[in-house]
Amino acid sequence: MGCGVSKSNQFHKHSRKAIRAAVLIQRWYRQYVARTEMRRRYTWHIFQSIEYSGEQAQIKLYNFLGYLMDNFTPSSTERNLISHIFRENDVCWDSEWERYFCYKNIEVPEVYSGPHLTFPLTVEQAVGLLEAFRNKKQQLHSRYVLELLLETWKLLRMLPNINRISTCHSKEITICGDLHGQLEDLLLIFYKNGTPSLEKPYVFNGDFVDRGKDSIEILLILFSFMLVYPCDVYLNRGNHEDHIINLRYGFTKEVLTKYKIHGKRILKLLQKIFSWLPLATIIDQKVLVLHGGISDTTDLSVLTKVNRHNDFSTRIKANMENELENSKRREVILAAALNRSQQDILSVSTDSVSSDNVKDEWRQINTDTDCRAETKSVNLKQNIRSAQLFVDAKLQTEECSMLWAGLGMIGKGKTQPARAFAVHVQCVARGPFVALEIPDHKSRILDLLWSDPMNQDGCMPNEVRGGGCYWGPDVTEDFLNRHNMQLIIRSHECKQEGYEFCHNRKVLTLFSASNYYDVGSNRGAYVKLGPDLVPYMVQYQASSMTRELTARQSVGRTERSALKVLREQLFAHKSDLLCAFKKFDTKNTGLVSLIDWASAVESVMHLNLPWRMLRCQLVTCKMSDGMIDYYDWFNELAIKGPNTDHIDQSLLETLYRHRSTLETIFRIVDTDNSGFISMEDFRQTWKLLSVYLKMEITDEDISTLAETIDSNHDGSIDIDEFMEAFRLTDK
Amino acid sequence: MPPKKIEPKKPEPKKPEPKKDAAPAAKPAPLPEPLPEPPKEPDFDPKSVAIEFSTDQIEEFKEAFTLFDRTPTGEMKITYAQCGDVMRALGQNPTNADVLKVLGKPRPEDMSIKMLDFETFLPMLQHISRAKDQGNFEDFVEGLRVFDKEGNGTIMGAELRHVLATLGERMTEDEVDRLMAGQEDANGCINYTSFVKHILSG
Repeated sequence: MGCGVSKSNQFHKHSRKAIRAAVLIQRWYRQYVARTEMRRRYTWHIFQSIEYSGEQAQIKLYNFLGYLMDNFTPSSTERNLISHIFRENDVCWDSEWERYFCYKNIEVPEVYSGPHLTFPLTVEQAVGLLEAFRNKKQQLHSRYVLELLLETWKLLRMLPNINRISTCHSKEITICGDLHGQLEDLLLIFYKNGTPSLEKPYVFNGDFVDRGKDSIEILLILFSFMLVYPCDVYLNRGNHEDHIINLRYGFTKEVLTKYKIHGKRILKLLQKIFSWLPLATIIDQKVLVLHGGISDTTDLSVLTKVNRHNDFSTRIKANMENELENSKRREVILAAALNRSQQDILSVSTDSVSSDNVKDEWRQINTDTDCRAETKSVNLKQNIRSAQLFVDAKLQTEECSMLWAGLGMIGKGKTQPARAFAVHVQCVARGPFVALEIPDHKSRILDLLWSDPMNQDGCMPNEVRGGGCYWGPDVTEDFLNRHNMQLIIRSHECKQEGYEFCHNRKVLTLFSASNYYDVGSNRGAYVKLGPDLVPYMVQYQASSMTRELTARQSVGRTERSALKVLREQLFAHKSDLLCAFKKFDTKNTGLVSLIDWASAVESVMHLNLPWRMLRCQLVTCKMSDGMIDYYDWFNELAIKGPNTDHIDQSLLETLYRHRSTLETIFRIVDTDNSGFISMEDFRQTWKLLSVYLKMEITDEDISTLAETIDSNHDGSIDIDEFMEAFRLTDK
Repeated sequence: MPPKKIEPKKPEPKKPEPKKDAAPAAKPAPLPEPLPEPPKEPDFDPKSVAIEFSTDQIEEFKEAFTLFDRTPTGEMKITYAQCGDVMRALGQNPTNADVLKVLGKPRPEDMSIKMLDFETFLPMLQHISRAKDQGNFEDFVEGLRVFDKEGNGTIMGAELRHVLATLGERMTEDEVDRLMAGQEDANGCINYTSFVKHILSG
């Protein structure tokens, strides 16, 4: 009995220990899972904020350029440059383009071992192309590329704005979301689901290009299958099927690198093709598939009739001309007022940092009751006042203050600022999307390509992206009822599981580029829809590497990437951050508290990130009683500045922060896509940029910059080289 | 100190199975010794908890709370089921039982339905943060040594899996797999000292 007892007691004690150990381990594990989940969430947050703020910057730039284009006098050199750019990008005349895109004189050398295409294309050739890209990693010869693109263009021209397809004959339709140049994902989809065929129709929902490295290959595959099965392969346009976006996000560069001789032609032809891509697809009259989304004014019957292929800049111009007509009267009045205060405007806009300052100054200028007595009308003051109130109310948006600064700095003639200002006032009244708020189809098309769903009811401009809107569940409900439909399938947003439902499962977001932010960041998905129209999701994750990583490792990797990107952003905003810190550090001790650090950083970066949680990852220098030495911190940000010591620091910082915009502008200026721009164009570009960025830049600064780059002094600047010089590298 | 409520002794949630085995004889088994938690514990009263966190800490907690907020309109609310996760994400280490206690012992079906806001959450977090029993390296190793049949510093992976999935606050098979990924050697054995080092370094 003694034995039994002691044994059982011993066992009992051991069991207790075992249980205790088990509980400890289990507790620990659950904590680990929760912490990993938290890290995953804020990492995602970081990537997404930075991605969207990039898009926003892009749209602002686009607006600004369009606006500038229409507000220069013919004699001004800046106007020549910009109108030259936009004219070049306009639709070419018919006879010209025939000659320009002619591929017949391009010879395919003997040594070329890639696929040879003959038209009309057969399915064997399409599959052969697929295999060539997959296995042999070959590039299709530019002759065939051009031929293929021309055939594609001919087909697209005949398609309606909205494709209508059906699942009759028990066909399941497969729908894919964003691919963004990630060929591996497309290959994986075809492997899992089969290539397109009469029995296997596909809809591809836009954003085929940019960011990934194989955008052109994806396009060629999609186009070739579309040519072979025109009734079973459908392509919707995405917001990245746009030549200006491509300049920033890598597609232009990819094509020019892969096709050094004929890249320019290929890009021009693609420009036309993109503008001809249909806007949406409707399945069985019940399911709408489109890239971005809808707004509260989306009306499919109207959209069916618009001319989708009209070039953007032509439309802006036409609208601006209308506006100018209407504003002539106002212009006369305002011109008078402005004549006097032009000098004041000039000084105000260069000094001011925030629109509030500008507002105050302007008020100051115009409350002087004796302003411009010589100006004709008795009602002048009244008119100025109302115009001023107009502007006041709208100077909230950064966009307007940017335009405001632009007015101050450009245009030397007396009437120029007035004219520009008049138009400005008109446009300002429309809200932040100045150039895009035009009363015709273009704004509606933007909604289709750029909008995102939100959880609250209503519809409001999408300021995060800079284009389209946010639409709520009530808008979905209303839209579906009006059009007698049941589901909207869209893409445009990366989702961790590759897809996500919202709005009571009436909206499905579908994203097909796995590992989009980094290896392991997300899965991709495609959707199958049969005659019952019940969506069936298939998920995947390309790259064998991801499968081998444990959850911890893949979160860790992605997190490190995100933090690296974030550090770069912080470094690029060093001056502004310093200012913000100094505001808190009134005694100039060089220290700020944690709370103040977080507030300051958010006030500068506007990324809406959980800064306090990230603090321990971002600030590793020692803190004395909860205070951060911010100078130390800047040093620690572990990024080596660019190797251009003789250039002013703040200029460099601005350069770095806006380098993506800078590159885009350069590529726009480089109208023949040669990769080089002339010194003169370079100077003009800088003038433009200085307006956009509200910074003073002297001719001397420009010369110094140019010298840094044009090392062989042949009068032209290699864009890539220039950008390399300003790339930050890790210490 | 929360006022002591006189309550009937509640049955312990985890009746250790070995106890049954330990008393096969006719002799009545001694009353089960209580598990690490104290036997009589009054209900959790959030109002009685004084918040000792600094403003900065509270701001940080708010950030974490927001990260887990899945309400469609961003109302700064989480479900009861998420409460434990948020606390753990903030560095606390409660058992599921601890969490249920501060939540006021809700019914299982309420866990994914009932919500709590930040003001309600904060005293719960404060209370949990005062727990002493965090477990250190030695505790872990001692516990695992129980399964070291040969006393050579290794345990059978299969046995550990079994323990984790059946004892204490059970883990699912999936969770156990993830935890033990890459830990077993070719013979299915785990050097538990290294294992503990591994998990404590996570």
